[in-house]
Amino acid sequence: MNTFKNKINYESPCDSDNDWTNSSDDSKYSESESSSVPDWDSDIAEDGELIYIKSKSNDDNSEISKAPLLENCETFKLRNDFKRSSTRRSKGKIFRVLKSRKIRNKNAGNEKKNDIGDNNKFIIVQVSKNMIFSSEKNCQIEKLFGISLETHADGKTLVVSDFLPEAKAIYTSKVKTGYYLQKINGIDVTSHNINNVLQRVKEDVDNPKLLFQAVTQGFNIDIEKLLLSKNAQENSLTQLLRDSMCSILYVCGNDVDYQSNDDNVLYCYPRPFNQNFLYNTRGAYLTLNHLAPKSLGTSEPVLSSVLHKNILINIAYASHYSDLLLVALPNSAIDVFAAKRVITDIIRLLEFLYGSLKICFTKPNNVDKLDSLFSRIFIILLMGNKDSSKVNNYIYTEAHAVSLPLDVKIQVDDAITELEAADYREWTDNVENFQRLYTVIGSCLYYSGHLLSSHLQDEDLKEINAYLKLNGIMKLSSEKELGKLVMWKEVFINESRKQNKNDGNEYRIPDGRWFILIVGKGHFILATLMEAGGCTEDAIGVIPPSAFYVEECESCLELLFEVGLDKYLPSWFASNTQPQVEICPENLTKQGKRNREVGSSKLDIKNSFKTKNMEIKRRNNSTELKTGSADNIHSQSLYGQWYNTQKYRHSSLDVTYSEDSGSLKSNSEISEDRVIGRRADREQMNRRDSSGSDSDWDKQDCSRSSNIEISDIRKSLLDGLNNHITVHRLTAGDENVLFHFMNLESEKGILIAPVNNIGEQANSLLYSYIVQTFKKSFKKIHDLLQHNVRFKKSQIPSNNLNKILVAVKEYGMLFDVPQDVLVQCGISKKNCGPFQFWVVGRVFSEPEPRELYVCYHESIPQDLTDIAYLLSYLE
Amino acid sequence: MSVIVVAVASESGVPIFSRKRGSNENIQFSTIASLHGINMFTKCHNLSLINTHLDNGTIIWKEYCKSITLIGIATGGLQCDLENLLACIHDVMIFCIGKKELENLKNVDQIKRDLRQCYPILDYLLESLDPNSLPQSTIILDYIQSLLCPQAQQLQEVLDNYAQTVTGRWACLSIHGHLVATSSDFFELDAREAKLLLLLAAAQDGAPLRETLVYLPQMSPNVAFRAVTCKLLADVYVLVICGATPPLSEIDEIVLRCWEGYAQIIKEAKLTYPRNFPTSFTFDPALLGVLVINVAKRRCVFSRHLHGSNQKSRSMSNAHRIDILRTFFVTSVKDLVPEFNSNESEETDACQSILSETFWCSEYHKCHMQRSGNILCCGLYAPTVPTHTMRLMTSTLLQDLLSNKDIYW
Repeated sequence: MNTFKNKINYESPCDSDNDWTNSSDDSKYSESESSSVPDWDSDIAEDGELIYIKSKSNDDNSEISKAPLLENCETFKLRNDFKRSSTRRSKGKIFRVLKSRKIRNKNAGNEKKNDIGDNNKFIIVQVSKNMIFSSEKNCQIEKLFGISLETHADGKTLVVSDFLPEAKAIYTSKVKTGYYLQKINGIDVTSHNINNVLQRVKEDVDNPKLLFQAVTQGFNIDIEKLLLSKNAQENSLTQLLRDSMCSILYVCGNDVDYQSNDDNVLYCYPRPFNQNFLYNTRGAYLTLNHLAPKSLGTSEPVLSSVLHKNILINIAYASHYSDLLLVALPNSAIDVFAAKRVITDIIRLLEFLYGSLKICFTKPNNVDKLDSLFSRIFIILLMGNKDSSKVNNYIYTEAHAVSLPLDVKIQVDDAITELEAADYREWTDNVENFQRLYTVIGSCLYYSGHLLSSHLQDEDLKEINAYLKLNGIMKLSSEKELGKLVMWKEVFINESRKQNKNDGNEYRIPDGRWFILIVGKGHFILATLMEAGGCTEDAIGVIPPSAFYVEECESCLELLFEVGLDKYLPSWFASNTQPQVEICPENLTKQGKRNREVGSSKLDIKNSFKTKNMEIKRRNNSTELKTGSADNIHSQSLYGQWYNTQKYRHSSLDVTYSEDSGSLKSNSEISEDRVIGRRADREQMNRRDSSGSDSDWDKQDCSRSSNIEISDIRKSLLDGLNNHITVHRLTAGDENVLFHFMNLESEKGILIAPVNNIGEQANSLLYSYIVQTFKKSFKKIHDLLQHNVRFKKSQIPSNNLNKILVAVKEYGMLFDVPQDVLVQCGISKKNCGPFQFWVVGRVFSEPEPRELYVCYHESIPQDLTDIAYLLSYLE
Repeated sequence: MSVIVVAVASESGVPIFSRKRGSNENIQFSTIASLHGINMFTKCHNLSLINTHLDNGTIIWKEYCKSITLIGIATGGLQCDLENLLACIHDVMIFCIGKKELENLKNVDQIKRDLRQCYPILDYLLESLDPNSLPQSTIILDYIQSLLCPQAQQLQEVLDNYAQTVTGRWACLSIHGHLVATSSDFFELDAREAKLLLLLAAAQDGAPLRETLVYLPQMSPNVAFRAVTCKLLADVYVLVICGATPPLSEIDEIVLRCWEGYAQIIKEAKLTYPRNFPTSFTFDPALLGVLVINVAKRRCVFSRHLHGSNQKSRSMSNAHRIDILRTFFVTSVKDLVPEFNSNESEETDACQSILSETFWCSEYHKCHMQRSGNILCCGLYAPTVPTHTMRLMTSTLLQDLLSNKDIYW
């Protein structure tokens, strides 16, 4: 009986919820319990922590995960009905579209590329039959596909060794040398059967499809597994980390405190010690760390770059009183700029999880946990490098937020607020006898790695963001559709850590314990920070997650699904409207302009397919979205022709009536309905067992029709999207010249920028060149502007500051796109002068430091203050 | 701000010299030992410390000739140029005592004594990282500070003639430490070598005729040449690098013979200082200062006296103007121009961007740089000038520079 009671303690009101539907007798607990044991229950660790992940077991998973943001509504619907055939059908469509598109792009274009199934593993490339490459060696493979192969060490597998010059353009972005050629037209190929297969290919009428397997340098690690594994990592992984020179070391400066080994190393990973280069050379960093402030009169070292075994490694320092934390990362994955950010995030994370660095590394029996944590962190950092270009890796620590339309934002906020409010009376009548377990102090919602809404304090958000990012949860949620994710962990919030220092404050937060509950579904991640203390029941001992709160969070996410946010967001992300960036830089060349003029003056479809399609995309996102399904590039061009004839003329109208009041009306309807939808369930229950409570809300009885309501709501939200998109532009001038922007609010921990996959949406070499240059320049500008930010923050004119750099508030660079990039993009020399674009960064110090970086075409001068002003209106 | 450079014999750890500039206290012997120890220790573990970033500074270790380790510590200034500074200092050491001597390092005390003569040059070099003082001879580390005058062409002929007579190849004329004219072969010399030559003249201030044994770090690090500096007028020197003959006394006569008739021209050229640009060349009144760089020849021309003599009343101090432009150049322009840092091709590969313009807006000034071909032009403007106007003015200036007949690099 005793154990029983314990359970009741943490088994939350929810069970009683179920319970009082049956009876009010306490002894019935056991029954309801057995029926409602959550599926994650068995995964709770001894210390009460929980990590539970269930990915969506769906055959089409790979396809969704391929580009979650471009998810096509239409295919989505189809999939629900009949899974297999629908995917195939949509695939075929895309193929056809691509084919026609490429022909338009290049006059001699006869290659199609496809990235279906490109989930980092397999790449399909379709090569046209009519293309015959000139092979010196008179080799069939080279002739047909323009690649040369060699045999792998195993004697069977075929490895790509080189590309013929003409074929390079087809493959470069997707296939690299060293990849395995796995299948041709679905047939497995090896060195043994390749000739037969080639013969068949020659006879076949269809264009051959090549399937390559991407070979990632030796590792392909499942984040999911990493998250779940609680024990020490397997050897291969440790070896991998050792080889790539990732390492972490915590050295205690005070001999007296801990006499662990003969030295003061409290923690070191990967082990064994003597194979860890950081451990072996720790003396150098320790000495430097002491020497710099004491004897040289400089500040403490921040980062050292060292060369070891021909690998350039960045070692970041973090002092904690007399202790020193060192983190080593290879420069190829994490450069100096990023390494500085990584260590701040690691510290944030450790303090968040353990309260302080010291506790983190001295807590008994914590080594295994730390090992798995750091192996995860390192893998995430290394993998981040793999799939995108290096410049993208960890250049900001802030949470990447997207601005949503007001009505959507309201709904999202509303849903979270309801969770946070945790209104008692809905759960039980027995308010007096019932004390809540936790107070929700805030929560934040992510979708595919983008922050949708945060109701947290700035510092908490930063820490939670670091937690999600470094643990790979962010990556997981953006790459995969999660079936269910539940994580529960005790944490030490920033406020409580700081508080100890200045006691006696009137507005003290209670002495309590804090927990983070992360619930994920689909691409959504909801992180909730809970407090036990003050008005709640005291949390004593091991605290496992409460099923009730998990359910509350789940139902909050459920609600977002109900209103159709899961379908709305992909199309919103793909809509590129708030604010719109120009993803087809080619349009701004003389050639592009001329083509567009031709195109817009007369609706001559045949002449200028390409530019016209692009132009429409550029100008009339509203039109495009009106179709409701045209939310990715492929389908845009699919409907391209259709636009040209019918929709184009309406475009101007769309923009004007987009701000009409109709949409507003529908909003209010939606939110009202929504509340009903959610409450209805509870009320239904309420009424069934209600002992005649005639409270107000019982009167508005819409519960029975709730199902219908929900579908309506979803529709209206999607409709809302279609009718209601206003294309916002930040730059001055007739044309949109904005390529990219980043608005960094480091105090708040928020970054506003175009969605992560904007590059994929653009699908243009020129654009990705521009964005890469932008990100590289961003680092430079950011570093320079930090002089200003730091100076303003400290307000003390320090001797050690460069007085000139401190005053700089705007820094711009004008870049020329190199000729060869232009040529590769199909822009002929004749038709375009130099293609130039600006990257400009500016810091606004009032009211709190905020940095804005924009990248725009040189043709129209821009004022960053204006842009910042316009941008602030969108938020 | 402070810069400290310490040279230590790699193996023995004996400090060879230590120079500093700025507010810092002198570095202690034990600190030098520790710093060196750090480097030695990591080397034992097959690991080389490349650099260490401080909050607002940098520490660098660098070993040269496998015998000497230079340790550089810079804070609060233009620390981004520290690596470059060490390379220059290494050059100075070779310049003075030759590479062989440096490699062998047999008699450390002797070398210590020998190197003492180059302290003035080292100090000139350290200037370049200090943003708080008015630099005399080194605005930018490895660029030759020059003066553009219409007489340069004429003077070149004289220099050619002079070099020939003293059986040398490389000769140049300097006014106030600025390079004015060169013999036609002069640019065979590496820019750093030329720079050291000018600094040598500056360091030997006052001597009417002097010969020094020098090793050219790139051209001939092991065989010494004779550098002869001769004072023609006040602040005007003619420098030549030649072999062992003719003796100094003869050179004295040759100088007289060669240069006698050109005193007037030199005097005219001297008038160009401190404006540093030909009088025929005019500047927009909004321009407060200008730094022009010839990328190919590694020469830089700075001017702040753009508008005649009556410009004392301007708010910004003159020294400050050099400083702003120099800081701008070093921190924002230099590493984006591919020619300037060819040695470190670390992350260049595919995504090498071509910078054509860049600007700063600060609360008290604006800077703008534009490049056209080999000429790179940085202008300093008042904060009130709109950015696009600034662009326009720099580009006009650049056009003028390229077309002006009186400008002869």
